[in-house]
Amino acid sequence: MPSAVLLRAHIENKIPSAFARSPRLEQKTLLTGIAEIDAMTGGVPMSALTEICGSSLASSGKTSVLVSLLAAAAEKHFCALVDAGDSFDPVSAEATGMNFGRLLWVRCGKQKSKLRPLEQAFKVADMLLQSGGFGLIAVDLGAIPERVVRRVPLSSWFRFSRVIEKLPAALVFLEQQPHATSCAGLVLQLQSQPAVWQGKLLTQCNVRAEVVRTREKRPPQSARPDFSLKAQWA
Amino acid sequence: MFACLFAPDFPVQAALRLEPGPARAALQQSPVVILEGPASLLRVFAANENARQAGIEIGMTRLQVEACSRATLRKRSPAQEDAAQSALLDCARAFSPRVESTAPGTVVLDLTGTEKLFGLPQNAAAKIFLLAGEFGFDLNIAIAPNPDTALYTARGFAGVTIIPSGEEAKRLGPLLVAVLSPPLEVLEILECWGIRNLQSLGALPPVALVERLGQSGLHLQRLARGEIHRPLVPAAPATDFIESFEFDDPVETLESLVFILNRLLHQLCARLACRSLATNELRLKLELASWQKMAGRQDESYDRLWKLPFPMQDAKVLFRLAYLDLEDNTQSSPVKKLIVQVVPVKPRLSQSGLFAPPSPEAEQLEITLARVRGVTGAADQNGIACAGSPQVLDSHKPDSFSVRPFSTVTTKDADHSAPVPVLALRMFRPVLETSVETMDQKPRAVSLRKKRLRVLAASGPWRSSGHWWNAASAWKREEWDVALQTADGVGFYRIYLDRLRKQWFVEGVLD
Repeated sequence: MPSAVLLRAHIENKIPSAFARSPRLEQKTLLTGIAEIDAMTGGVPMSALTEICGSSLASSGKTSVLVSLLAAAAEKHFCALVDAGDSFDPVSAEATGMNFGRLLWVRCGKQKSKLRPLEQAFKVADMLLQSGGFGLIAVDLGAIPERVVRRVPLSSWFRFSRVIEKLPAALVFLEQQPHATSCAGLVLQLQSQPAVWQGKLLTQCNVRAEVVRTREKRPPQSARPDFSLKAQWA
Repeated sequence: MFACLFAPDFPVQAALRLEPGPARAALQQSPVVILEGPASLLRVFAANENARQAGIEIGMTRLQVEACSRATLRKRSPAQEDAAQSALLDCARAFSPRVESTAPGTVVLDLTGTEKLFGLPQNAAAKIFLLAGEFGFDLNIAIAPNPDTALYTARGFAGVTIIPSGEEAKRLGPLLVAVLSPPLEVLEILECWGIRNLQSLGALPPVALVERLGQSGLHLQRLARGEIHRPLVPAAPATDFIESFEFDDPVETLESLVFILNRLLHQLCARLACRSLATNELRLKLELASWQKMAGRQDESYDRLWKLPFPMQDAKVLFRLAYLDLEDNTQSSPVKKLIVQVVPVKPRLSQSGLFAPPSPEAEQLEITLARVRGVTGAADQNGIACAGSPQVLDSHKPDSFSVRPFSTVTTKDADHSAPVPVLALRMFRPVLETSVETMDQKPRAVSLRKKRLRVLAASGPWRSSGHWWNAASAWKREEWDVALQTADGVGFYRIYLDRLRKQWFVEGVLD
């Protein structure tokens, strides 16, 4: 009998559960409302930190994905949007059919205080996590310069990750680049694709999504589905 | 049966009511004097039993009191006495809806029909005594078959006294005639006759008494025998719940202030609970010592109003809301008076639905929102709240929105169709001032963050205007959706020309 088998049998004799595979609990997710992303990722994982990233200059579709996610989540949960740059457009959100009664919108950086908008956003997100009861807490850092967000210590992301993994809620950060590294349960990178014009009217914006990181079963590298976002007036 | 709640030395009890339990007990064991009048000529208005035993009498000057004993001196506050009387009435209303405010510190209530709720009169009296203790009162309680017997018994005997039906005259007998508060001349006549207690007064022949003292003499005799059954004069329930506290010396530290604030809020919430009410509006006002106000801040004041999204009677939540605001707003001068007011409303009668989404606990959410407002500020420069639920205004003006208070309680699941993803606009607030090169009245290049970006395609112009009747708020714009070639790819931006200011702006990016 090979020594490895002997060793395994010996260990299992002493510690029966040493090599037993614990059944993995099915992770709950929140659907984004965009079929292509939901098919690829299964939705935004709850009890995990998610990053949705896209360029701040080009139309990457990151804001539309976040608004769609908030609208879909508000169907079943109370949601909070911590808006570091006060860039949320209620008119666009209303066009998606969002239930505003279930959305708490926190606008940061509107008053001169000791804290900068990024610090305000992190502090408010922390308070909302402690408060509990929200199914989705989204922090929009898209308007914060990349060089500022890059200075956020990894320990902050780690702390958020540890807090959210005990809560039945999803924590989503909207950024230009991913920063949470291994603390994130899902990282979604979005890129703009050629748009559709009808005459001189912009009617549709095409976006390519790529899963940069996921703790779930990783989709094939070639899976970079395109999806389209229709303009409100189309 | 009728019960009388009598607070001996009421002005003293009103002044000490807001003290914490041990401190109040210690003060009650020592001489306490209430002074009234101008600061230069303060005179004794009321004193407790220990002060009277120490030789202090009503009308003495402050100097005489200080020479007499080392009594605790407090200045009389009519507002505190009014609040104490209201608290006493609320305490009584917890046991009966028929309550009479007989005199300051004296309340009579009708206990008829409450036996099933509170049991025997002894039990009811014990419960009243306990509740009054929570309000900071040390009461004499008497329960008797008629209101006047209960009233004079409570005035005459300390503690709890129960008089069964038929024993009124016997139990009232030992009390002095003065307890009936007869006119002074009548009291002198009775004194001359040697009538000192109610037993002697009750034993006089009625006809002879009427011949000498008239009907008032007979009335006094019937009171002494406990024979008068009069209806109560019901006191109207107070609609304002106000508690105030005036500091002897203005306080500068937050700790001293919030200590009293906590006591006031607990008193108010206890009063609300007694009447099965809650509040959805809390007002806190601080009166500052004006003589110490800083130059240039003469108009400084603190008057805050919290409109709560649902009625509550939890003193801890109300205290936390006020405390967070006080922490953020420091005053330049010390506080001399604290006034707390709550608006009574019916409590929340709702039950969470089985299929309702999980939501933050309403009370905890209010505290969280107060803390959030402490970080972000309450409102922006336009007066729009920094935290709440967005609401699109019924206006043609772009980016017209308001932020209303967020609440998980009042949320109604209106008819919301299934969400449909659309291309969302990412706003720049404030809008970015820019310069635009045009050719054939179409944008050709846009300057964005100090970079000249070529326009690949443009959609517009979309002209709109509004408020033309008001020069201050009038707006007139020419809007374009442009595709700009950026370093990261194509960006679809919304730019507009302010036709009144002749200036181009970038409003947002379709992202």
